[in-house]
Amino acid sequence: MIQVLISGLFLGGVYSLLAVGLSLAFGIMGVLNLAHGSMAVLAAILYKKTLVLYPFSPWTFCVLATPIFLGFGFLLHLIIVAPFRHLSLSAGVVASLIASLGVALILEDLFVWWQGWEPISTYITFPTFNLMGLKIPGLRAILLGMAAVTIGLSTLFLKKTDPGRSMRALAQDKEAASLYGINPVFTSMGALGLATILAGVAGIFYSSLYPLGPREGLDLTLKALFIVVAGGMGNLRGPAVAGLALGFIESFAGVLFTYTSTDTVVYSLLVVYLVLKRGGRQQ
Amino acid sequence: MKPWQMSFSIIILTALLLSSAVFSKGYVGIFVFSLIINGTMAVSYDIPGRSLGLISLGHAVFFGLGAYCFGISISKGLSFFPAVILSVILSFVGALLVTLLMAGLKHGYYSLATLGILIIFQKLFETLESITGGSAGLYIPETISKLHCNLLAAFLLLATAACHVLFSRSRWGLYSKETEASEEAAEAIGIPTRTVKILCLMTAAIPACMAGVLHLARNSHVSPVSGFSLTLSITALLASRVVPLRGILGPLIGALLITAAEEVIWTKFEGFNQAWFGLILLGAALYQGINFKRRKTISAAAENPLSR
Repeated sequence: MIQVLISGLFLGGVYSLLAVGLSLAFGIMGVLNLAHGSMAVLAAILYKKTLVLYPFSPWTFCVLATPIFLGFGFLLHLIIVAPFRHLSLSAGVVASLIASLGVALILEDLFVWWQGWEPISTYITFPTFNLMGLKIPGLRAILLGMAAVTIGLSTLFLKKTDPGRSMRALAQDKEAASLYGINPVFTSMGALGLATILAGVAGIFYSSLYPLGPREGLDLTLKALFIVVAGGMGNLRGPAVAGLALGFIESFAGVLFTYTSTDTVVYSLLVVYLVLKRGGRQQ
Repeated sequence: MKPWQMSFSIIILTALLLSSAVFSKGYVGIFVFSLIINGTMAVSYDIPGRSLGLISLGHAVFFGLGAYCFGISISKGLSFFPAVILSVILSFVGALLVTLLMAGLKHGYYSLATLGILIIFQKLFETLESITGGSAGLYIPETISKLHCNLLAAFLLLATAACHVLFSRSRWGLYSKETEASEEAAEAIGIPTRTVKILCLMTAAIPACMAGVLHLARNSHVSPVSGFSLTLSITALLASRVVPLRGILGPLIGALLITAAEEVIWTKFEGFNQAWFGLILLGAALYQGINFKRRKTISAAAENPLSR
């Protein structure tokens, strides 16, 4: 039982990381980015390809690949946010949702073409240590710590730095922020860049722990969206906690049911939660 | 809908009805059948899509429900017509449950929930192996001839088009437009918005269920991936949106274009069919954004002649 809890904690840490990025993008730009999970898969593939040449640890690669993912975020902004900034909030959400679904579908086929159907696994051997009779895998513990640090740094960035404050101001009132000299285009570009970096880090960590299919991007996005809806759109603390909860749910469902049933349980919870919360009414 | 649009729609529907009677076998027969099924899905999708402005990513849920209800009825020993009647009743109940769940949601949340529902059904039907055949799906014997299947599909398309026209011209159609414009304002003037949404969504769900029944009757096989298919949902979405014409003409021409594009994509770009759909989807969304900006610039210039 405790081993399942620990496993859920590790999985939840990665989900939290993924969801925090998505929540950031929604909170600041009102974008439900369905290509978010595909960015995680892209990061995992890039890491796997790099491992063949240079045996970087996941955390070293995360630091090195940050500028690349910032660039991907900017590119994504040009495709799924910038063209719809003149639309009303509801029309903009739907248009960016459709555009990001298009990007996700394109990327999924490209991933299969690039690296084949086999799951991406970048597991590196790491010692396991004992803590009061419990077996704690060293790599998982380090990655969980890194995920917590990454979320903490993102929160600090948003609260204590000027670009972070600009992003929060934009999330609160776009017009008022513009009057104070904040450039909405550059600021939202930065926000999506940060969200994409978080997705990339989550993808690298996930593939270090579990095999990740090249077509799993949309699945990851949906789980992250579930976490974001459950934790509260636009804030970072809620999705981080809800991510951990989903990790536990999945781990327990994995023990109680089969693999496909686990997904059914998770998605059923998403729909039930959406319906109970009547998310649309609060928009 | 303008008179020329109505005339053109009638010409297309008549042409499809005649083609379904003439071409029932071989490649052309399959193409005509796909065209009619895509047309039915697009026209039915357009009912809540246009009047309520709801973007569903899970319209194929109803298609899959219809196909599976029919398949299970046939595998339990029922003949064609009793199986159709039973599957209509079962699909109606299933569609009503889904619709009741979805009716409270708006905008992006609705799209998200419909996508979630689609995946739930896909996984659920994979899990219930003893009833649904698991991921391999259901195989049924031929129950009616291909000619009859094509003709029934063509009549289904006609009935769906009639439903679309009647709904948009009825008071419920007007209510739904008012609901789309502002749900709060609609409620304030006494429009039962939830009932409007349920009625609108059910009008779209039943033809999709029937399309699923006929798909299985003609192809004899359905699996969770082909029945509850995201590609099918996207095809319906694209076909209803790709041609910016109101009424049934837009979805009909859209279905024609998308089915033709689908054939080219499946034969010429093996392995990249999903990417091509993504590209079309992206193009359609970007067109919407660019077109809105252009219209906004034109209207701003018209309001302020000095800015020219």
